[in-house]
Amino acid sequence: MNFDFGVIADNGRFLGYGVGITVVLSLVSGLTSLVLGLVVALARLYGPRGLRSLIVLYVDSMRAIPVLVVLVWTFFALPIVAGVTMSPFAAALIGLTVHLAAYAAEIVRAGIESVRPGQTRAALALGMSRAQILRRIVLPQAIVRMLPAFGSLLSVTIKDTAIASVIAVPELMRQSETVAGQSFQPIEVFTFAMLLYFLMLYPVTRGVDRVYRRVAHLGRS
Amino acid sequence: MTLDWSVVWQHRDALAQGTATTFLLTVATMAIAVPCGIVVAVLRLYGWSPLRSLATAYVELFRNLPLILVVYWAFYVLPILTGLGLSPLATGLAALSLNVTAYNAETFRAGINSIRRGQVEAAMALGMTRLQALRRVVVPQALRRVLPVLASTWVSLFKDTSLVSVIAVTELAYVSMQIRAQTFRVLEMLTAMAALYWLLGYPQAKIVDWIQRRWSVTE
Repeated sequence: MNFDFGVIADNGRFLGYGVGITVVLSLVSGLTSLVLGLVVALARLYGPRGLRSLIVLYVDSMRAIPVLVVLVWTFFALPIVAGVTMSPFAAALIGLTVHLAAYAAEIVRAGIESVRPGQTRAALALGMSRAQILRRIVLPQAIVRMLPAFGSLLSVTIKDTAIASVIAVPELMRQSETVAGQSFQPIEVFTFAMLLYFLMLYPVTRGVDRVYRRVAHLGRS
Repeated sequence: MTLDWSVVWQHRDALAQGTATTFLLTVATMAIAVPCGIVVAVLRLYGWSPLRSLATAYVELFRNLPLILVVYWAFYVLPILTGLGLSPLATGLAALSLNVTAYNAETFRAGINSIRRGQVEAAMALGMTRLQALRRVVVPQALRRVLPVLASTWVSLFKDTSLVSVIAVTELAYVSMQIRAQTFRVLEMLTAMAALYWLLGYPQAKIVDWIQRRWSVTE
């Protein structure tokens, strides 16, 4: 066996573009699923009864269906149902958001429920409204407690963007496949892709741990 | 838009076989990854120090890689490394096992670490050897804490088996997408695939919730 890593240098820009798409897709879908997750969690906790059971069904369904299936369905079947054409990137963004928001919602819910109900009652006794309590008492503590879980959700998001390669989003995984296929040097290319993914994911995992250790005291009560 | 759902029923045998392969992959991967995870966790905790760093490096590496990349990598690299012509199923099983073993190792390590040191010290003060203390005191308690985590790993694994479809393992996702390509019944087949995964995965997710309620430990 001899390896020739020249293929990486030759396709540096092509792979670099893939890294860019991976980063953008991860950040954007991370953000959208966070926002949607927050809305879903609040609706589950404080919404009307009918809506609540609908949300439980949605969350549990997303825990049961693989991301690959969600992405493939969004890209190939949703345009038939909705009658619109979508770029792979848009389909990946929608699919990932719908999937990950369910997980984000569970994190938000667990965080909010971890703040003892006594605090809410005390605040009510002091004359605060429900919205005030959520904003001033519950969320400031809950958000700190949610941080580690959101950190691992971000690393799951980055890993899941690799699955978007099956619907031809030109992110790192897809670009690596293309280079591997053209150069007939899959070992060099995929090993290099592994290195790149590790370099993206490891700092996220470690960074979140560090930030959490700094702010953990803010979440105690 | 005309829909023809009979296509799903016509291919019921293929779909049933794909479902069977999906379950086989899940069970086989867990059967490999639980013992291997225990070994890696014990190496990390009590091993000879170079082995310990090797085990740590392995766990950190595979926990920080997308599974789909590991699957591709195994597909191209394993035949060259081992010199064997592995079937797609064996390659998929290897990739899934490598991934899940890393997660399980971390689960077992956390489980063992969650038992307070004082208990081992107390057991040793009573005249037990370290091994006895581990076997009689630590492991029985650790297992109870590990079970709910293993259960949710199981559900993730069940979903992740769909990723080996990219190397043509004939499990549920691959079979459904093949039928879609042959019949051009895109919406029907993809919806059927999602529905099948839902029907199979939903009860498993519910059982996990039940296990977590039943076996959760509060201190």
